[in-house]
Amino acid sequence: MKRLYALILASLALAAGIALIQTRSPTTFAVGQGRVLPAEWLQPNPNPATPKADIRPADQTFLTFPEWFLVFSPEEQALAFQNRTSTAFPFMAHVAQFWQSYRIVNDQIKDAFPVNASYHVMICVIGVSTTVEYALKATYEALVGRLTDTGAPITAEDRYNAEYMADYVAFIKDHPWYEFDYSTRFKSLWTSTPLVGGSFMRKMERRYFLTTELIAKLLYAKLIGFGTHQAYDRPLPTTAVVLVKDSLVHLPRYDRFAQAAGTLAARGEAFKEIAGNTSAILLSVLVPAYGPTAFEDSRTLFTQPLASDPTRKRVVLAAPVPFLDRLLVRLGQANLPVEHVFDY
Amino acid sequence: MAWNDKLPVSYLLFTPKGRINRFTYWSTSVFIWPSFYVLFNLLGWLSPSATWLIYPPLFWALYCTATKRLHDGNRSAHWLWMLFLPIAGPLVIIFLLGFMKGTFQGNRFGPNPDAAPDYFKNPDAEKIPNLKSEERIVNDVTQLNPVLVSKVAAPQTIEELRDIIRTTDKFICIGGGRFSMGGQTASPNALHIDMRKLDKVIAFSPGERTIKVQAGIRWCDIQKHVDAHDLSIKVMQTYANFTVGGSLSVNCHGRYIGLGPVILSVRSLDAILANGDLVHASPTENPDIFFACVGCYNAIAVIAQVELDLEANVAVRRSHVKMRRDTYKQYFFSKVRENKDVVFHNGDIYPPLYRNMRAVIWIRTVEKPTVKTRLMPLAAAYPLERYFIGAFSKSAFGKWRREYLIDPLVFAVKRIHYRNYEAGYDVLELEPESRKQCTYVLQEYFVAVEKFDAFSTLMAEIFQRHKVNVINVSIRHAKADSGSLLAWAKEEVFAFVVWYKQGTADADKGAVAVWTRELIDAALSQGGSYYLPYQPHATAEQFHRAYPRAKQLFALKKKLDPSFKFRNVLWDTYYKAD
Repeated sequence: MKRLYALILASLALAAGIALIQTRSPTTFAVGQGRVLPAEWLQPNPNPATPKADIRPADQTFLTFPEWFLVFSPEEQALAFQNRTSTAFPFMAHVAQFWQSYRIVNDQIKDAFPVNASYHVMICVIGVSTTVEYALKATYEALVGRLTDTGAPITAEDRYNAEYMADYVAFIKDHPWYEFDYSTRFKSLWTSTPLVGGSFMRKMERRYFLTTELIAKLLYAKLIGFGTHQAYDRPLPTTAVVLVKDSLVHLPRYDRFAQAAGTLAARGEAFKEIAGNTSAILLSVLVPAYGPTAFEDSRTLFTQPLASDPTRKRVVLAAPVPFLDRLLVRLGQANLPVEHVFDY
Repeated sequence: MAWNDKLPVSYLLFTPKGRINRFTYWSTSVFIWPSFYVLFNLLGWLSPSATWLIYPPLFWALYCTATKRLHDGNRSAHWLWMLFLPIAGPLVIIFLLGFMKGTFQGNRFGPNPDAAPDYFKNPDAEKIPNLKSEERIVNDVTQLNPVLVSKVAAPQTIEELRDIIRTTDKFICIGGGRFSMGGQTASPNALHIDMRKLDKVIAFSPGERTIKVQAGIRWCDIQKHVDAHDLSIKVMQTYANFTVGGSLSVNCHGRYIGLGPVILSVRSLDAILANGDLVHASPTENPDIFFACVGCYNAIAVIAQVELDLEANVAVRRSHVKMRRDTYKQYFFSKVRENKDVVFHNGDIYPPLYRNMRAVIWIRTVEKPTVKTRLMPLAAAYPLERYFIGAFSKSAFGKWRREYLIDPLVFAVKRIHYRNYEAGYDVLELEPESRKQCTYVLQEYFVAVEKFDAFSTLMAEIFQRHKVNVINVSIRHAKADSGSLLAWAKEEVFAFVVWYKQGTADADKGAVAVWTRELIDAALSQGGSYYLPYQPHATAEQFHRAYPRAKQLFALKKKLDPSFKFRNVLWDTYYKAD
């Protein structure tokens, strides 16, 4: 056993060395150390004009980033799976991006706001479960998926996977992920996907992989759904916005907020409060790989090259609510799509 | 050393034969996966297709280690087909490989890799390379006392043994398990009789609660024999490796309350005198022979057969209490001595300050045992014990950790098991990894119960002054001996079992002799004595002061063994000098 222990030590040391070398090529680029936003951008709104029921904590714009990253990640996957199978997808790069960006957004708020412990717990739960899921997938794909991989998605099962991922992304933009209908997906995998066809080994292997994924997620979604109903209230479906002209409007929350706010800004409306807040609001913009990363009236926190699409990168920035209209207009003029406005 | 320690790692990783336990499986996994990660990345930097090279060895190693682990639970490798069942299959396999205990007994794939097939045994006398004569080197468990003997005989019947004793014109020395620590089983150029083949049970009466055995049998063998009848040995030592003949010759004791030296549980014995006569002796029949046999180190005869008392094999529950050393005597007399439910008791004095003690008692109970087996399961190795003993003996900080961290944790665990279990420890758990530089050795001192404080204070002072690396001082209680000529319990006594670490160089042995003689003087000053199965450092004067009836024994030896046939290092030291 002594020789085995020596070998274990040697292999662990080498593995640590390799891991160290790999951290030399980061997946998220912070713009500065620690907090980069001016303190006055993080002041709470003393006298909100927004009705009390529509007010949400100001730090939530930052805290919702990790959650939304778990929408961006499947979105990237859905896009990538159109042209190649999931086997070569850089799952571990996404894990790294999740944790690194979480640290950066948290650096902005940790001294300015009281700690929202239950939100951090939630982020850690989804972070850890995604890390486990992606690590298992990456290992499985490297060990087994690679043996049957066809490169392009030529089997019905690989195409099914791409479809399922696209539907999933469309769903979670407006719903909690755990309400996704996994059981119907599982049934249709086995009933409406043809069993015969070329690349038989790949077909069988993918069936095994998808069956495992769908059943595991079905069970986990039930568990989380149950836990979430116990621990958190159902979220509001709208975001209240007070415009400079002192009118209160209710915009759709989450994914469609960016578009609605963009339309208002394009019409020349300016924002006074969003969900009762006047402090900095976070948004992400998709920019060509060598495109601009800094914009007037805002501060950029970090950039992330899209792990699955080297021609583009995500720029995550923050601007005070009163500057948002100008920023949106400017981005629209530059033809840079706003990926998301984190509406608290 | 366990068999699997000797095999190369490649055998472990690349052959699907045999069994491995959970720990080994996890260890190999901790080797395989990082290795895969390293090679995958290194080869990937060369060229992504080069990584294909590592898949065959990876899958083969995963298959082999998984197969070995399945074997451990008496399952064949066909269970791996389960992996094709989504979700449940991999979960079951992960459970079976990583968490399911192996079968306790041997199975169709081999013996339990964690279990030893038998108690630790001292090896047969060592052959000398290239020597044509029958000379052998006999050593004891400490390996500190090699003695060259002219020949080794291992009789299988009592008749054969009698013939050897009657016909031999050489000197004779007797050995059983050879767990004494000072050459009590050997004498230079003598014929060494290895008693371990005389291991039969002659008669067993569960109703009468007696058993008659040949003297070469080990206590663990008797335990196996009587356990099915819910019986237990009345008096024996904690470790069950010893032979009955050896234990009787040193008049051993255990941790029993209300008992004492083993002589109190011996109904009768058959001894072979130097002329080959077989004599039946008991406290009432031939008492002079009986009391010159038990505890008398083969001075006048060889113990060949013994009839022993048995007791009910009750379940016992452990409890403990920590106290100052100076309050122990009071505690013992008020809580332990008269408590009929206490079966075992010992007190451990904590070095290096010798100020605190932990009293451990095992009380008769009707509760369900906390262990699965009735008898002590034997492990192939005791890595944890070895680590702790090493840590305790390394420094004062190690001793502090034991007193304040390890022992409180160890004793917090509820322990209930049978009397046979608690008297069934294997000496292997005390064995050091190597004796090249140092080894663990025992000594023992006895004083009358009322002298506990006086002697323990003297002892502590001697240990501290000589910087003796004491690992533990265990206190036992014994009632007075029934009459052995070399009785160490001349009255009701406390025994101080000292377990210490010493260097194996000659200078270290000399240093031990110095403080040992000081400690013997301390015991003698309190009217006590010291124990003889250990290194014979005592002067002849000390020996006779501790054992005043030795003169009587020597007189009997002159009569019954006029040619000084029965020898060992003890008699070579004290009888010859007489």
